Amino acid sequence: MHAVRNLRLCTKDCVCLFVCPTGATDTENGQIDFGKCLDGCRRCVDACPSHALSLVMDNYPSRPAKDTAVVEALMNFMEQKHREESLAKALAASAATSARAKLAKALAVSLRILAEDGAREAGYMIPQSTASKAYLEKLLAERPVVAGKQFPEAELRELLQLL
Amino acid sequence: MEYSPGPILSNLAKALEKQYRAHEAELMWKVAGYFDDFQPAPEFPDFTSLVRSLTADEAEYLEPVRQASAATENKAADRGALRAATWGGKVNAIQKSLADRYAKKGDELIEGKKLFVCEACGFMFLGDQAPDICPVCKAPALRFAAVA
Repeated sequence: MHAVRNLRLCTKDCVCLFVCPTGATDTENGQIDFGKCLDGCRRCVDACPSHALSLVMDNYPSRPAKDTAVVEALMNFMEQKHREESLAKALAASAATSARAKLAKALAVSLRILAEDGAREAGYMIPQSTASKAYLEKLLAERPVVAGKQFPEAELRELLQLL
Repeated sequence: MEYSPGPILSNLAKALEKQYRAHEAELMWKVAGYFDDFQPAPEFPDFTSLVRSLTADEAEYLEPVRQASAATENKAADRGALRAATWGGKVNAIQKSLADRYAKKGDELIEGKKLFVCEACGFMFLGDQAPDICPVCKAPALRFAAVA
């Protein structure tokens, strides 16, 4: 486990700078240097007066498999909300007034969030999980075609290597 | 592909952002973006069919999640599915109500007001200022995004 900093909460008291044994908290971009951070050390986490630092797992345990009927119902929900999102996006693109476009755009955003929620609960919650990685492998193998676009092979390969 | 990859991938990209893995998140957003037009856009989009679709969702897509969750032997493992159906049902009702009111009142409903979407649960709010707390998922005001 390594530390991460929530920059929204950081109050620049910088207690983390002198409690960190490796200098991982002292970076230009404000985030912890994950490469220098010691596994499970948590000195900065306990020292921070603003609770801006926390620990994140490097290896997530795989979650228990869900009932297939539940997964199917959730995936159907995701697909339906995504269909409606496509409809809302088309409505926004063809809207005659800015008010109509605004509502259609907001609906598309909201519908995508519901679709994502369905996907998350159906088993694609953690990118490092076996299910998520198997899904990325499947995309790489099947290479679904989207007209006029180049398949993001390099990105997928790099992701599979990093996760 | 049986299901559209877009929402699965954008959800994973958001998960990587929450883990502060900026580079991996960027890669995942690129892969998710590839699937933006995976579903062909409807040729003649109209609000009435969206309202009809949203109205049918409660019985056709949310109730099956609740029933499958209730029927499963290992109930504890499916708290998440029930939670998603509970929030999803509330947000779906709001989406339906807004689309329905717009179909009746037209642009007058939206003009001069701001539209906010809760980034945690999808709740939509029409008004001058985002609510202090999301009524559906209790996220604070900073989680609301104004749609321009």
